[in-house]
Order: sequence, then C-alpha cells, then structure tokens
Amino acid sequence: MMQQKRPFPYGTLILSIVALVSVPVMIIRYLYGLGAMSNLSDGRAWGLWISFDLYCGVALAAGGFTLAALVHIFNAEKYHPVVRPAILTAFLGYIIVILALLVDLGQPWYIWHIMINWNIHSPLFEVGWCVMLYTGVLALEMSPALFERLHWRIPLRFIGMIQIPLIIAGIVISTGHQNSLGSMLLLLPYTLDPLWYTPILPALFFVSAVAVGPAMVILESTLSGMAFGHAVKLDVLSGLGRIIPFFLGIYLIMKLADLAAAGQLDMIVNSYPQNVYWLAEVIVGVVLPMVLFSIPKIRNNRAGLFGTALLVIGGLIFNRFNVSLLWQEIRPGYTYFPHWMEFAVSAGVIAWAIIVFMLAIRLLPISEHRGEAEAPAGRVPEAAAS
Amino acid sequence: MTNHWIDIRNADCILIIGSNAAENHPISFKWVTAAMERPDNPAKLIHVDPRFSRTSSKADIFVRMRSGTDIAFMGGMINYLLKDMRLHPGNYNIEYVQQYTNVAYIVNSGIKLPGEDPAPGFFSGWADNKYAPATWKYADMASATAEAKLLTPNWEGWTNRGADDEAAWAELHDRCVLKLLWKQYRRYDEEKVSRITGVPVDNLREVYAEYAKTGARGKAGTIMYAMGATQHTYGTQNIRAYSIVQLLLANMGLAGGGINALRGTSNVQGSTDMGLLSHILPGYIKVPNDGDTDATLAGYLGRITPAPTLPPSELAADNPVNWWQHTPKYVASMLKAWWPGADPVVSYGYLPKGKASGVNYTHLGLIEAMGNGKIDGLWVWGQNPASGGPNSNGAREALGKLKWLVVSDVWMNETAEFWKRPGVDRGDIDTEVFVLPAAASFEKQGSVSNSGRWVQWRYRAVLPPGEAAPDLDIMSRLMKKIQELYEEEGGAYPDPILKLDWPYGDEVDPDLVAREINGYALETITVGARTYQAGELIDWFGDLQSNGKTSSGNWLFCNQYTTASAKDKADYPELITVVQKNAGTAAIESINKARKRNNMDTSLNEVGLYPNWSWCWPRNRRIIYNRASVDLNGAPWDADHPVLRWTGTGWDPAGDVIDGGGDPINVAADTKKNLPFIMNSEGVGKLWGYGLKDGPIPEAYEAWESPISNVMSPQQTDPAAFIGSFMNARGDAAQYPYVGTTYRCTEHWQTGIMTRNLPWLSEIVPEMYVELGEDLAGELRIRAGDRVRVSSARGSIECVAAVTRRFQGIRVDGQTIHHIGVLWHWGYSGRVRGDSGNILTPGIGDANTTIPEYKTFLCNVEKLTGKEAADV
Amino acid sequence: MSKGVLYDGNRCIGCRSCQVACKSWNRNPAEDTTNKGGYDNPPRLSATTFTTVRFREVDHNGKFHWAFAKTQCMHCLHPACEGACPVGALKRDKDTGAVVYDDGRCFGCRYCMVACPFGIPTFEWDDPLPWIRKCTFCSGRLDGGLEPACVTACPTGALQLGEREDLITEARARISASPDKYVDHVYGEKEAGGTSWLYILPVPFEEMGFPALGEEAPTENPHIAMRTLPYYAGGVVVLMAGFYWLTKRKQKLSHTGDKHGKKEGVAK
Ligand SMILES: Nc1nc2c(c(=O)[nH]1)N[C@H]1C(S)=C(S)[C@@H](COP(=O)(O)OP(=O)(O)OC[C@H]3O[C@@H](n4cnc5c(=O)[nH]c(N)nc54)[C@H](O)[C@@H]3O)O[C@H]1N2
Ligand SMILES: Nc1nc2c(c(=O)[nH]1)N[C@H]1C(S)=C(S)[C@@H](COP(=O)(O)OP(=O)(O)OC[C@H]3O[C@@H](n4cnc5c(=O)[nH]c(N)nc54)[C@H](O)[C@@H]3O)O[C@H]1N2
Ligand code: SF4
Ligand code: SF4
Ligand code: SF4
Ligand code: SF4
Ligand code: SF4
Ligand SMILES: [Mo]
Repeated sequence: MMQQKRPFPYGTLILSIVALVSVPVMIIRYLYGLGAMSNLSDGRAWGLWISFDLYCGVALAAGGFTLAALVHIFNAEKYHPVVRPAILTAFLGYIIVILALLVDLGQPWYIWHIMINWNIHSPLFEVGWCVMLYTGVLALEMSPALFERLHWRIPLRFIGMIQIPLIIAGIVISTGHQNSLGSMLLLLPYTLDPLWYTPILPALFFVSAVAVGPAMVILESTLSGMAFGHAVKLDVLSGLGRIIPFFLGIYLIMKLADLAAAGQLDMIVNSYPQNVYWLAEVIVGVVLPMVLFSIPKIRNNRAGLFGTALLVIGGLIFNRFNVSLLWQEIRPGYTYFPHWMEFAVSAGVIAWAIIVFMLAIRLLPISEHRGEAEAPAGRVPEAAAS
Repeated sequence: MTNHWIDIRNADCILIIGSNAAENHPISFKWVTAAMERPDNPAKLIHVDPRFSRTSSKADIFVRMRSGTDIAFMGGMINYLLKDMRLHPGNYNIEYVQQYTNVAYIVNSGIKLPGEDPAPGFFSGWADNKYAPATWKYADMASATAEAKLLTPNWEGWTNRGADDEAAWAELHDRCVLKLLWKQYRRYDEEKVSRITGVPVDNLREVYAEYAKTGARGKAGTIMYAMGATQHTYGTQNIRAYSIVQLLLANMGLAGGGINALRGTSNVQGSTDMGLLSHILPGYIKVPNDGDTDATLAGYLGRITPAPTLPPSELAADNPVNWWQHTPKYVASMLKAWWPGADPVVSYGYLPKGKASGVNYTHLGLIEAMGNGKIDGLWVWGQNPASGGPNSNGAREALGKLKWLVVSDVWMNETAEFWKRPGVDRGDIDTEVFVLPAAASFEKQGSVSNSGRWVQWRYRAVLPPGEAAPDLDIMSRLMKKIQELYEEEGGAYPDPILKLDWPYGDEVDPDLVAREINGYALETITVGARTYQAGELIDWFGDLQSNGKTSSGNWLFCNQYTTASAKDKADYPELITVVQKNAGTAAIESINKARKRNNMDTSLNEVGLYPNWSWCWPRNRRIIYNRASVDLNGAPWDADHPVLRWTGTGWDPAGDVIDGGGDPINVAADTKKNLPFIMNSEGVGKLWGYGLKDGPIPEAYEAWESPISNVMSPQQTDPAAFIGSFMNARGDAAQYPYVGTTYRCTEHWQTGIMTRNLPWLSEIVPEMYVELGEDLAGELRIRAGDRVRVSSARGSIECVAAVTRRFQGIRVDGQTIHHIGVLWHWGYSGRVRGDSGNILTPGIGDANTTIPEYKTFLCNVEKLTGKEAADV
Repeated sequence: MSKGVLYDGNRCIGCRSCQVACKSWNRNPAEDTTNKGGYDNPPRLSATTFTTVRFREVDHNGKFHWAFAKTQCMHCLHPACEGACPVGALKRDKDTGAVVYDDGRCFGCRYCMVACPFGIPTFEWDDPLPWIRKCTFCSGRLDGGLEPACVTACPTGALQLGEREDLITEARARISASPDKYVDHVYGEKEAGGTSWLYILPVPFEEMGFPALGEEAPTENPHIAMRTLPYYAGGVVVLMAGFYWLTKRKQKLSHTGDKHGKKEGVAK
C-alpha cells in the first residue's frame, strides 16, 4: 500500500518524544512520590493507569489468546499470519501493564512479595500471578521468532515440543485473569454503581475480552499493514469480523439478562446520568458493531472492518473506564482528573511498546515469515529435524 | 464548687448557665452523662447561653439568651418560684427554706428596692458613688426577728395564701426577706424577661417549670457555671441569683445539688485557696489595710472576725456556729508559720497592708496603674497579660511603660515578647525584659486543687529541659537571694524579710511546703483530749491556737498532712513519711493525704464521695453545707442520695464529714442546735445578703456596652462597676451594632500559648476565627472561610469567618440583635499565630471582683476583600 | 467472640481528645491545615490522621442538632481490604477483631483503598517509599490488655471497648431506654456483613456521612468467584485439550482424504 520512499518519520519522532518525556516523569515519581506527579489521592486511589494501562491494556491484549486458540487449538489455519503479531502485541500489552504497575505501585521493588505472600482469596492475587505467568508464557510463545532469527535450533525444538501445552496454559491463564479483573470489582458492591455491579462481572469481562480480541487483531493488522506495507489478507480479517458479533451477542444477552434477573432493568432508563454512559457503551460498543459486522459490505471492506473494530475497542475501553473509574464512588470531598504526568506515563509506556513493536517487526520474523509462520505448529519439530 | 465533680451524677436536673462545660470542662460531662443516663430517673440537662455550643448539643432544653441578661432570666425564675411556692408549697421543701434560710428574717427599716422611688434602679444607701450597706442588714443583727407566718409548717400561718397576689402578700411583714424578694422579682414577669433576654415566653416557662421540679423533697438540682456568668460588671450578682434559686429549691448541701463554679486554669482553686488574689490572705482571710482599725492585730481581728447573728426564736436551731469566729486562731497560726520566731502581735506588723482609701490591686487596677506610669517593674509569673487581660492594645502599651519586666514562664509568650509585637518599633520601648524558664506541670511535683476542692498530689513525669526549673525552686532561690541582699545591704524594713522562716534550699521539697501549710504544734500542747508533741503536725484546724503555739500556713489545709492513724498505716503503708520538724523534736509517722488514691466508694449508698481518693478541704468534707442535706432529725431529705445520716445514736460513719459537728437539731441540747450554713454569721443560707458592693439581691442592668436601654430601670449599668480609663474607649450601637462575646474552644487554652505551640492542637484549630450566624452572614455576604475584620471601640482584628446556625439573631425588645463569638486563643507569639479577641474587649470590671466584662461588648464585622484578605 | 468499640453520639461531646490521643499513640505528625470556617480538621483521614471527628448541623425530629461522629477504620468482620490485598498485608485478627496491616508484605497496590466500602485506608502519597496507613484498633495495646488510645482518652465514655456481642446488646438497651434520643439503628451491626466498631447516633446516619450499605459482606461474591477459579481453569484445560484433539484428528482425517477436505474448504 505504501510507497517505498522514505518520508520524514514524523510518527517516529513523536513516538520518541512521548517515550522520552515519560523518563523524567518516572524519575519524579521515584524521588518525590506519587503525590508529586499524579492527581491520585486517598479519595481516588486508582486512576488513569489502572483503568487504562491495566484494565484496558489487559483486555486489549486479548487478541493474543483469542488467536492462539483459534489457530492452534481450533486449527483455523487461515488466521495463521496474524497469530504472531497478535501474540507480540499481547506480549507488549503486558509489558505496558507491568511498566505502568512499576510506576503505580507504591513499592514496586517488592512486587515479588506476591510470590511469597499469598492471599488466594484476592482477585488481585490471581491477576498478579496471571500477569506474571502469562507474560512468561507470551515470552515463550514469542521466543521462536527470536530463535528462528538467531537460528537456534535446540531451543526452537524444545519450544515446539511444549507449544500446545504452552498455548493451553496461556489460554487458561489469560482468560483466568480476564475474569479476575472482573472479580476484582466484585469487592465493590457498595461503591461500584449498580448498573455495572453484578456477580457475573467476571464472566462479562471474559466474554467481552473474547469479543475484543479479534477486533484488536483487525486493528493491529490494519495498522501494521499500513506502516510496513504488507497487508494481511482481507478474508482473514473479515473472518475475524464475522466471529465478533457472536461474542458481542452473548455479552449483550448476559448483560441484559443479568439486569433483568436482578429486576433492575429500569435503571437503564432511570438511573440518570450513569444510564447515558451505560447506553453509550452498549449501543456504540456492542449493538452497533454487531449490526455493522453482520453487513457483508462492511465486513469485506478494510475501512469498514477497521472502523467497526474501533467501535468494539472503544466500547470496551469505555466499559472498563466506567467500571474501574467513572462509576466507582469517589470518597466525599475529593475530585479526580488525571495529572498531565499521569497521561505522560501512560502515553510513554505505550510509546515504548510501539517502538519495541516496530523494532521487533523489523528485526524478527513476525509477519514476513512465510516458511515457519505458515507451517502449522505441529510441523516445527519436523522442520527442525530436517 | 460546694459539691464536686462526681457528685454531678446525683443531680435530677442540671442547669448549666454561663458555662460551656462540655468544651471547657470535658470531664464534667462524664458525670453529666452519667446523670442523664441513669436508668430509673434520668436527669434533665438545661443549657442557657447566647449560642449553641457543644454543651447545648447534649441538652434536653436549650435556651438562647442575649448575653448579659442572666439576672433578668434568673429574676424571672425567682418570680416563678415565689408564685408557685405560694400556691403549691407541697411541691417544695418548705421546711428546708424555713429552717435553713433567712426567708422569714426581717430586714432593716431603711431598705429601699430599685423598683421603688426615689432613685429607681438603686437600692438604698447609694451615696458618693458607692453603697453604704447599713440599710441592707437585718432589723436586729444580734438576734434576728422573723415573720412568724412564714415559719409555720407549709406556711399554714400564711392564711391568705390562696388569694390573688396583692392580697396574699399584703399579709406578710413588709420587710421580711420573702416579701422583699417578691417585691423585687414580681417586676421580672415573663413578658418583661422575654423582652430583655430575647427568650420566648414559652421557652422561659418550660425551663422554669422543669428546674422548679428540683424543689421537691428527695430531688436535687445543680447549677454549673463559669465565666459566662462571672465575666460581667454584675457577675457576682449573677451567682447570687443562682444561690437564691438553689436555696428556695432546697438544693444546697445535698448530693446532686449545690452551686458549682467550674474553676478555670488547672489549680486556680488552689491558687485562690492560697491567697493569690489581691484582697485575701491564704485561707480567704481578708487582707489588712493601712486604716486605723487595722493598726494592731487586735483591731484587725476585730474588724475581720464576724459577730454571730442568733436565729429568730421561732427557728428550731439556736446556734449559728459562725465558723469565722475562729479567725484569730487562723491568723495567729499563719503568722507563726511565716515568722515562727516572732510574737504574732509583732509579726502582724510584717504583713503588707492595702490602702484603706480603696486602691484597686486587681489585674485591671494594676494595668491602669502601669498605663499611668505608676509602676516601675512587673513580675509576671505564669500569666500572659499581653493577651489574657481585656483591652490588649492598652495592656501592651502599658507594659511599655515599665522599666523592667520579669516573665517566669514555660513558653515565650506575648508578654515576654510584647516589644516585638507587630506594628511597634522596638526602639521605642525601653522596658528591660528578663525571662526565667519554668518547668511545666508534669516536670515537677506538688499538689493541684481541683474545682471540687480535692487536693491531688502530682508526681514528676519528666525532667524539665535545659535551665528550666520548678516555680517553687525559682521562688526559693529568689527569696534566698533577697534575704542575702538584705543581710548584706540592709533595707527600709528588713525584719519581715530577714525573720521570714525559709527552711528551703535551691531545690525545694514540696512535701515540706505542704507540711508548713498544714501546720505544726510549735510546743507540746493539749487540745481537749489530744496532746501534741512539739513538732507534730496538727490534725485539723479546730486544734489551731490563737496563742502562737501552733503554726499553719493555711487553716483550710490543716488536715491534709497529719500524724498517720493506725488505719492509715495499715491501709497506706507506702504513703507513710517519718516527719521530724527540727533536730530536737520527735520523729513521727505522718501521711500526706493528697497522695491517697483509693478508688473505693465507701460512702452511704455509694453516693460518690470516694473519701479516700486524695483529700479535700475543709477536713476532707466532700460536700460543704452538708448539714442542710438532712432534716431536723438528721434524716436525709433524699434517702436515695444520703450525704449524712443520723442512726439514732450518732452520725453514720460512712457519711460525709459533717459541717460544724454536733448532733441533729432536734436531738442536740439547747445552744448546740447547729444551723447548717456555718460560714455565714447567721448560720442560715442567705436569700438576702448585705456583703456585696452592688446590692443585697441582684438587679438587672445592661452591660457597659449594650445595644439597648435597660428595661428594668433608668439606671443603665451596674452603678458600682469598675471602669477603666487607660485607652479604654466605649462604643455605641450605631457604630458597633453587634453583641460580641468571647469564649474558649476545647482545643485551645486561654491565650493559646500553651496549645498553639502544640502541633496536634494547632492542626485541629489552626487559625483565629469569629463565629457568626447564617442570618447575619447572609446580610453581610460573608461565607464560611472568608476573611473578616472584627472591630470594637478599642481596636480591630482580622480572622476567618465561621458561619453557623448555632448563632442566631435574637429578638429583643422589638429589635433583632445579632451576636458574634470571638475566640481569644491567638497572639503574635508561638508556632501558630493570629489576632487576639482581647483587642476588642473593654477594660471594665465587676463591681465586687473586678473580673473584666469579657462576655458582652459591642462590635462590628466587615468582610475583607481582595488584597486585604490575602494579606491576613 | 471478638472485640468491638461502641461509639455513642449522645455521649460524644466532640472534644476530639480521641483524635489527639490517636496521633500521640501512633506518633503521627500534625498536618498543615487551615481554618475553612468549620470545625472538621484535618478535613479528612490521611496517612497521618487515622481518625477525625465530624461535625454537622442537622435538623431532625423538629430539633436542631449539632451532631458529632468519630470516623476511623470500622474493623469489618469481613474486611474488603483483607479480601482485596493480594499479599495478605491486611488481616483480621480473629481474637481482637482488629484488621491489622503488615508493611512487611505490602507492595503498595492500593487495592485495599479502592475496596474499602467505608473509604478508610490512606496512602503516603508524598513519600517515595509509601505505605498504607489506617487505624490499627491499637492492636498492640489490645494485645497488652489496654484499651485503644482513643477510647482511653475519651472523657465521657462515648467510646466503649467490649465484646462485640455485648456492645450490640448495650447499644440496643440505650436506644430503648431513650427512644426519642436515638435513631433506631446500630450502625455496623449488619453493615457490609458487620463491623467491630459500632455506632448509635441521635440523627440519621446519612446526615453524618455514613454510607448506606447493605448487609452483604463485600467479600462474598469475590470469594465465590475465586473459589470457582480452579474449576474454571481445569475446565478450560480439558476443553482446550479436547478441542485440540478433535481438530487435530479432523485435520489428520482431512489430510488423509485430501479430496474431502478440499471440498469442505471450498464449501466454506
Ligand atoms: N479547652 C479549654 N478549657 C478551659 C479553658 C480554656 O482556655 N480552654 N480555660 C479554663 C478557664 S481559666 C476557665 S475560667 C474556664 C471557663 O469556662 P467557661 O465559662 O465555660 O468558658 P467560656 O468559653 O469563656 O464561656 C462560657 C460560655 O459563656 C457564654 N456566655 C457569654 N455571655 C453569656 C451570658 O451573658 N450569660 C451566660 N449564661 N452565658 C454567656 C458563652 O457563649 C460561652 O459558651 O474554662 C477552663 N477550661
Ligand atoms: N476575652 C477573654 N479574655 C479572657 C477570658 C475570657 O473568657 N475572655 N478569660 C479570663 C480567664 S477566666 C483567665 S483564667 C485568664 C487566663 O489568662 P492567662 O493566665 O494570662 O492565660 P494563659 O494562657 O493561661 O497564661 C498562662 C501562662 O502560664 C504559663 N505557664 C503554664 N504552666 C506554667 C508553669 O507551670 N509555670 C509557669 N511559671 N508558667 C506556666 C503559660 O505558658 C502561659 O504563658 O484569661 C482571662 N481572659
Ligand atoms: S483539660 Fe485537663 S483538666 Fe481539663 S478535662 Fe482535660 S485533662 Fe482534665
Ligand atoms: S473499614 Fe475498610 S479498611 Fe477498615 S477493615 Fe473495613 S474494609 Fe478494611
Ligand atoms: S496496598 Fe498493600 S495492603 Fe493494600 S492491598 Fe495493596 S499490598 Fe495489600
Ligand atoms: S483505635 Fe488506635 S489507631 Fe484506631 S483511632 Fe483509636 S487510637 Fe487511633
Ligand atoms: S474523645 Fe470521646 S467525647 Fe471526645 S470527640 Fe472523641 S469520642 Fe467524642
Ligand atoms: Mo479562668
């Protein structure tokens, strides 16, 4: 799609600036504390970072497990070309999460405490472990790309041997903590708005993550296609587009059935102003994409796919913000709007992630690796044996 | 306090008037709460105050009263009581009123009340700007006469009682006390009281009726008061009004009753006991003056020792006791404590004498004299006059007229730093200032007397920092130095200094002082059945001698430190000290009872006397005038809360130490039938008095600065009030339309120097503020947190506005009067600073005590805007 | 049985001795405050202020009230903060009922703050090495047989330490002895599954800023979720393995019968 001439790299420049700005900001945080560079307070202990970097970050990394499952478990081979970029994105997504946590945690250097001090009742304990493990799994899943590049056969072969268990573990772990991110909110029956609070939050989180996974793949593929000029086949993407409404449908039904079961459907109309947020989230992020993805003309058109995927993603982001920030009660007497340095950190870690992503795409056989990439997983050992 | 803190829990009704007990005496609320939560018959709490405070928040009935109108309010209550007692004597303890008060006594024929002509507003005797009290006395001072009709059971002899007011009262002697009260207080009808106080009539009636219930036999009501009552030009009369009510309701002497002054600073009770005030020596003995009468000890004793007034023959009792008859013993023993080597007749001459011409030596008088350049040097010891007294601008200016100033204090306060205050040029002030660092209360040992007269020993918790030393040590070193200098250089009159017994070193053992205060037998003496060895501590003040053979620094405390009884030795072995006064005298096991900490309540019905927790004066008597708690046969009026009880053969030993001793009136032999109010020369409670400077009974006047004219008479203010002249301008309502009142908050202490230096307290209340009602704030467009200027004729301050519904405009005589509340805990020294409310207050004092009129004055409030506000 | 403290708004005189005693015992420094024209100060709980007294002017039952309420950690029977903390840094002591914090475990995630339905835990925002701070129920004093510092300091008995069950009985007795002086509710008896600190007040709890909470323990739903998690994980593993096996088999089949598979592919 793109010409091979080299225009001035504005994008890279901006990315680099954003990435660089975050460095002194983080230094301020470690020298003077979180109060010096964030508007977080006792009234609002979690802000932009948790909502965006953790809640959205993890959800948006759902592309990883969705595609891994699709390709490796369900053997839907045609998605094979996007599986590695998806896993890479997921991996980077988790790196973002971890980087953000390093800023957000009061004592990040004690992050390992979670390994020795267990509270198995804490959803965050589960999330913590899962993030840790899943990042490891993703790293392992990504490692063949590196090994291929370096032509290290033995590790490659080893990874190949454990690939399927690894992928299954990845699916269990990642979906597990997609759930648990919802479970985390279960502790807030009194401070999370009833329009969102429900015991089935974990399931809702899971289903919506499954739905957003393919949407993320559409988004990333399109974007990286634009950036590097090697587009993923349209039918691959529209195939993804076809799966999405199915999950969105389940999601919508669950949401409505849950409110109905609780006898709280009237809140959709009555609990102003939160119902506006809820409706926006559901109509724009769920109902509309369901409709659009069901229209073949849109589904078979890159722009249509891209736009609709954006709606799904936007809807999910909005949902995660609603539950993790906007409609959680703030303590009396406090207000919260993120400090610019909070934005700078979030933007910074993303910028770093994109830079790494771009480098990885350039340096590693991620999307341009016909041979290996097209080979089904089971064939790797064979290749290695030859 | 006639009673004590724990005793509040026995009250059936608690009337807090002129005090914010919850905030300023938090511990009292432990007992108020206990009374209110009593399961069987919970006590009612009434709070009367111009503003709704933390005390009001706990009250069953809150009365919002215009500041300065307590006499009108209480006058209305007396009026109510007189009416109700006449119609329903069965609801009251008439027997108590008859037998234990001067209700029936006939007063001098010259008496004229303020409601009568000529000279309305004045009692008889006003001439040359002061009262001569002769006409206020009884018709016969030696042996009182009475209106007999009032001394029949339930006033049966008052046959016309059911008739209308005029007819009924016409039957009584015109000058019997009850009738004088009626004549005076019938003028205080509810409408008029309401016009003056701003309290709606319904509200008045509700409170009067509620409190009147404590008049019934078996019921007791207590009045708790403090500065809201006293800090007025007629403050003493406010308290007189409470006394009249308490006597009419038979509440004096009973558990759960009494007049309870909630004393102020820690140990202010002890300091007045020890004679810190300018008009008294230790033990409330009057200071001698330079007049002819006081030229000799005998003359002086003759003046200050009251003669008894015998009760009318119709009374059951016949002995007024007249405890002050023992004054000569106390004076002689005190002189012996100070100058043991001198004959009291001689050492009396060593006492400083006041001016018979009436120079005012109180705080206000001193500041006036300083301002007028009459004083060279000032020693300020644990006080902060630059902020604590009224009219601070004047006081600070006056300090600058001194040649030298010594401040002995635990902090650098506004007084020590007066020359650094904002707005003055240090170069203009020549006063040389010395600061002596003192140890704080927990850095030294000694006794502290609480409001209930309990003398409690305190031990040192930590050593004082740096060069700081206990006040006692500072004083001792000072005295020794003075003696040394007198010895070296001589002086105008060296004897009082050089002959003063000063057995103390640089570090004084407070126990030694406590023993000197208690007093010793100076030689072997026998008093009744008791023989004292020389150097033995005296058991109690009854054993003190007028012949110079005993010493006692303060007769009231004679009993605190005594030879230990066998029981003491068994029960308190750790408190026994072997005392040997001099090398030659015997070593005797003794006990400092202020150290006792036995929290067993061994009193009758566990009424809360806790007789073995510390010690209290007089003679460990926990409730004074307790003889009034029993009837003529010695049976308690309130069987549930007995203070004393006659068993038929003697007083129940579990009871309190009886006032005045002797058997119950109906049991005792003739001439030994003791009346209960032993400190009055007539032995009965004084519904009518003659000892004050501004009238025998209270009459309502307006504060010196008031927004309205006196409704009761053409005389606007208390005629005998002390009026300062140094920099003391008077404001009027046109310029200063709001009534200002100053008070404390829980979180700060007085001038604030002790609390503004404490971070945890400054954190809670960091800045000076003025409280005003939402209604007034609305008119002035002031919102909570705004910066405002508050001004009076004396000066102005800037502070934060606290807007609240706890203040409200009061409808008075057809107009709305707004109050604002000003704190006075700030100054220019210390960690957290601000302006003091005392820049606003007037240098005006009570007619009797000269306590300043801090509680009622005129002021104005303005909102500060823009730069002014930012500069604050 | 575990301990509790009963706060009685009718006994409280708003003197704030409790606030100062708490600072003193916990060696918490003073905050830099200003006077905002009201009484509450410091305005809120913070890392150096574990308890404050609230002052509100309230009309209730035709009477004007100046009502007070002390706030601090409620020491829940089922603490959301404990349920939240991933590293077990907050734990309820079964004997005393105190919910105590162990900074040796904490890593500062602040989930406890988010979870607490009463808005209690606070954080050292201005410290590069920040910890969570909150009322400790003076657990060290409790262990040593003393009352909490605030309880000891309280002059009127507005704060009373006792066995929680006894305190509830006591609270009910006080309410029924003076029904006109209290609202008929023992706050904390049931709220959020019950709390160790209990309140009775002369005015409605909402007026004093107490959150209106249901009886359900906030830890209930997450505990169910966490308990089902292993089953979930097991299920997913079996399911995924099963699918893998199925699709693999299908693939093998289609590889052997190429025609079949191609047809299928075309049909798609
Ligand atoms: N926290 C704290 N406690 C203290 C002190 C302190 O500085 N801080 N100081 C101690 C000392 S030395 C003293 S003397 C006591 C003083 O104790 P209080 O007398 O209780 O002290 P104040 O706050 O000066 O005044 C009490 C009340 O008088 C009210 N008042 C004003 N004018 C009138 C009036 O005309 N009539 C009536 N009935 N009430 C009126 C005021 O509104 C105020 O609520 O407190 C002692 N306790
Ligand atoms: N406007 C207004 N003014 C008032 C009042 C009012 O109600 N309104 N109330 C009046 C009343 S009742 C009072 S009692 C006075 C109080 O007025 P002050 O006595 O002048 O006020 P305090 O701030 O108590 O000052 C006591 C000083 O003693 C020091 N001190 C404390 N402990 C010790 C010690 O152990 N040794 C020594 N040497 N010094 C020590 C303190 O640091 C402080 O400087 O204020 C009066 N002023
Ligand atoms: S200030 Fe001191 S004397 Fe007054 S109640 Fe408190 S502890 Fe007792
Ligand atoms: S009140 Fe909050 S911090 Fe305290 S125990 Fe309950 S959940 Fe934990
Ligand atoms: S901040 Fe500390 S105590 Fe709170 S949940 Fe996180 S780890 Fe636990
Ligand atoms: S229990 Fe201890 S930590 Fe908690 S508020 Fe009371 S004094 Fe403070
Ligand atoms: S110490 Fe007691 S009375 Fe004082 S504010 Fe605290 S709870 Fe209320
Ligand atoms: Mo005082």
